[in-house]
Amino acid sequence: MSEWQLWLERLLLTAEPVAAFMRTAWGWPTMESVHFVGLTMLFGSIAVWDLRLIGMASSVPIAAFHRLVPFSVLGFALNAASGSTFLMTEPDQYIYNPAFHFKVLFLTLAGVNIMVFYALFFRRVRALEGGARAPAALKVIGAVSLVCWAAVIICGRLITFYRPAGCIPDQAVGFIATCIVR
Amino acid sequence: MLVSFLVWLESTAFSVWMRESPSVFAFPMILAAHTLGLVLLAGIDIAHKLRVLGVAPHVPEATFDRFLPFMWLGLWVNVASGIALFVGYPTKAITNELFFVKLALIASAVVLIKVIRRPDRRAPRALAVLSIAFWVATIAAGRFLAYTYHYLDVDDLISGRRRP
Repeated sequence: MSEWQLWLERLLLTAEPVAAFMRTAWGWPTMESVHFVGLTMLFGSIAVWDLRLIGMASSVPIAAFHRLVPFSVLGFALNAASGSTFLMTEPDQYIYNPAFHFKVLFLTLAGVNIMVFYALFFRRVRALEGGARAPAALKVIGAVSLVCWAAVIICGRLITFYRPAGCIPDQAVGFIATCIVR
Repeated sequence: MLVSFLVWLESTAFSVWMRESPSVFAFPMILAAHTLGLVLLAGIDIAHKLRVLGVAPHVPEATFDRFLPFMWLGLWVNVASGIALFVGYPTKAITNELFFVKLALIASAVVLIKVIRRPDRRAPRALAVLSIAFWVATIAAGRFLAYTYHYLDVDDLISGRRRP
């Protein structure tokens, strides 16, 4: 694990122009603003979709809400892009950060949940009329999605409080000893 | 008078707890709650504004009223968490003009939640664009508050030591 973390850290540090921009006075706060706009768009549109899966507004066909999904994807794309700039600038602050590890875990769970939905239910859901009985499993998928994305946001917000302070990147063994133990 | 108010507020037990408690359930989780409130209120509102702009045309616009309770929940979570964050660092907030800009932007966006639902509304698409712009500006203002403050606490203010 640690060797792969060091490899990832060195790889991320090669994006020097990004890091240079991020260290300007406006760089970091601007990308943070993009990140928060992205997560607001992602969560808002996916929450409406999830609440419909759970059973709210059931007179409206589930498929009608699907047009909101591209905006969730747009929000996610904004966040993948802006999130990458944080990692390219201060990789050690994320790679060795337990809050970030949990964030990635919940992101993965949210992603698997979405894949389960599209693989097993999407075709059936698309054909459902408003008011028709939806598979009960959809409620579980909607609830899991809401919980996972909320957890992603909480873990993301906690990253700053679990930073491995005082870590100097690229000092191999000593670095791992000081930073991972914290 | 403002300074003596800030001295008093920062000496209250709750303010000290906000700044100094090592618990993750103190400042960190209150900050996380502030983000959850944001995504509930602004996130669902932006979804509604996208509908007004023509996205998801087969969802009746009134259907979004069903999600209003979640938006109001987000608003109240953020009023509460926002007050807590303010009490922790009142000088930091009150001496930064941007803090008041953020409050004005939030008030404008919240008023638009009501205005755009009035039966006699005009130019709904313009209102929707304006509303999304208010939220984007609110979010940016909130992020920049962490970087643009002048005085972290009242001791800074009294001694005239400007940061960052």
